[in-house]
Amino acid sequence: MRFWPFLGRRLIQTVITLFAVVTLMWALFRLIPGDPTTVFLGTGELPPDAVAALRKSWGLDAPLWQQYLDYLRNLITGNLGLSFYYRRPVLEILLPMLWNTLLLMGFAVTAATLVGIAVGSWLGWRRGDKTEQIGTLLVLIPRALPIFWIGILLQMAFAYGLGWFPIGGMRTPAFIPETRLEQLPGYDLGVHMVLPLLAAVIYFVTDPLMIMRTSMLEVAGDDFVTFARATGLRERRVRHLARRNAILPVLTYTAIMVSFAFGGQVLLEVVFSWPGMGRLMVSSVTQRDYPVAQAAFFFMAVVVIVLNLVLDMLYAVLDPRITYE
Amino acid sequence: MSSVPMPLAEAPRVDQARWATIRLVLGSPSGMVGVALFVFFCVLAVAGERLAPYDPVAIHYLPNGKVAQVEPPSRAFWLGTTHYGRDVLSQVIVGSRVAFIVGIVSAFFIAFIGTNVGLVAGYYGRRVDDMLMRLTDIVFGIPFLPFAVVLVALLRPSIWNVILTISCLLWRTTARVIRSQVLSLRERPFVRAARVAGASDLRIMYVHLLPNVMPMSLLYVAFGVAWAVLAEASLSFLGFGDPRMVSWGQMLYAAYISGSIRHAWWSVVPPGLCITLFTASVFLIGREYERVVNPRLDRG
Repeated sequence: MRFWPFLGRRLIQTVITLFAVVTLMWALFRLIPGDPTTVFLGTGELPPDAVAALRKSWGLDAPLWQQYLDYLRNLITGNLGLSFYYRRPVLEILLPMLWNTLLLMGFAVTAATLVGIAVGSWLGWRRGDKTEQIGTLLVLIPRALPIFWIGILLQMAFAYGLGWFPIGGMRTPAFIPETRLEQLPGYDLGVHMVLPLLAAVIYFVTDPLMIMRTSMLEVAGDDFVTFARATGLRERRVRHLARRNAILPVLTYTAIMVSFAFGGQVLLEVVFSWPGMGRLMVSSVTQRDYPVAQAAFFFMAVVVIVLNLVLDMLYAVLDPRITYE
Repeated sequence: MSSVPMPLAEAPRVDQARWATIRLVLGSPSGMVGVALFVFFCVLAVAGERLAPYDPVAIHYLPNGKVAQVEPPSRAFWLGTTHYGRDVLSQVIVGSRVAFIVGIVSAFFIAFIGTNVGLVAGYYGRRVDDMLMRLTDIVFGIPFLPFAVVLVALLRPSIWNVILTISCLLWRTTARVIRSQVLSLRERPFVRAARVAGASDLRIMYVHLLPNVMPMSLLYVAFGVAWAVLAEASLSFLGFGDPRMVSWGQMLYAAYISGSIRHAWWSVVPPGLCITLFTASVFLIGREYERVVNPRLDRG
């Protein structure tokens, strides 16, 4: 198959997946006992005819299929409703949070991938010796660590204990830079990001690292490596060559990593009071602010699905040998 | 006719190898550590209250009549007390039960659903395969923890809703792996022989193919336990745990919310360490098991 039909098919698939997630979400939020009016107004505070009028104005008296179509139309036109709690449009509340989330997650995923590639290729190259065996076992430990626990431990040690880093949040209110160092752009933000980023990298690094190691092991037996060595290249150059050829599986994995990074992200945002979408989602679910919770979930799903598509495309461009199936 | 003996069919013998497998897993140091840890937590989960020095939710008082709030470890309280004056050691011991129930039950469903979806998709191929795999793709598009938060909060936090949520989503990896195995097994001579002998689709799938993908399914039972335990802990930490049961995640939630994490390491380290060790034990067992049933992986 050629590239363009492949792209077309993947696009259709993406749309179907999005559609399914949206529908699922709509159905899920119908599971709430009562309807939005009871959450919005409380029970017994308004006369029944006023509630009925509100139900009518919100379209809750329409048949279910009509409600579903209205919901789809609103979603497509970017109308995500009104927050029960903040009494403001959901989109207005959510967008700044989306950027905060993507900022932290972008750094975390990139850093974890880079560290994974570096350490993984190093481990894979020294196959069989003691360093490799111990290293591989050590790397598996973070797999079993709950990410929020890593976060809490870092917070205990470096924020509460040593006081090196702020406890949480994203900025110091009314921050006045004093030293030369503090005047650097983004200094305050950077300082706030160190601990959550560190926790995320410890947690996310395992998979790219192990994949890189395996891929390195596979490549190490290839002819081009033997030839490169035979031409008298130094070992470091040979490793560099092998690494470049072993990198692709790690890149495809990035899409999967992003999808499960959201889970870790939600937990880290709560631990470090990072004003992002995950934390917003948890608090809005607790406050029964369903429009916000629904929209936050929707945004996360969109990011996951779209990134999967983008990385699929990128992979096809990066590796010309690939066949589109 | 499904009762016809099939001399042609040479399905690899699985049952004979089972004991050898167990012996091999136990034979390696990391497998041994994994099994020992797992048995240890088994005992904790089953004996629970009988082993715990106190009632996990009882509030303790100091001799001067005050609540024993965040007391450091002492002779009376080996792991200190929580912000609410409860014994940390007792909570850690009893908390293993939730991890255990959630881990085992969810892992069963993860492997059960995943194996069946993979088997049916891989065996029938074409339309069926396409439909089931698109469904799996959709499930892969759902970010797990956010979904779990929404679902558990909407359905009310309880241990069974946590299990339901985990089982609903996490079968996806198992399904993909099993399907790809079935795809290659399907073309093997013993399957063709069975078909020629007149075996029905169901018989081929569950009598001939299933035993061959069983080792892979079992591996995903092990991973499933680990995923489920971590998922339960995460949900509890966010405040969506079963309010009627003590769990490790809830202990961490309480420590975080009450601010004990500022100075009381004993309210943070024991529950987190238990989650880690329990998860690590199943990972170690899974890894050793994988090495035994799939020796080609052992390249290092």
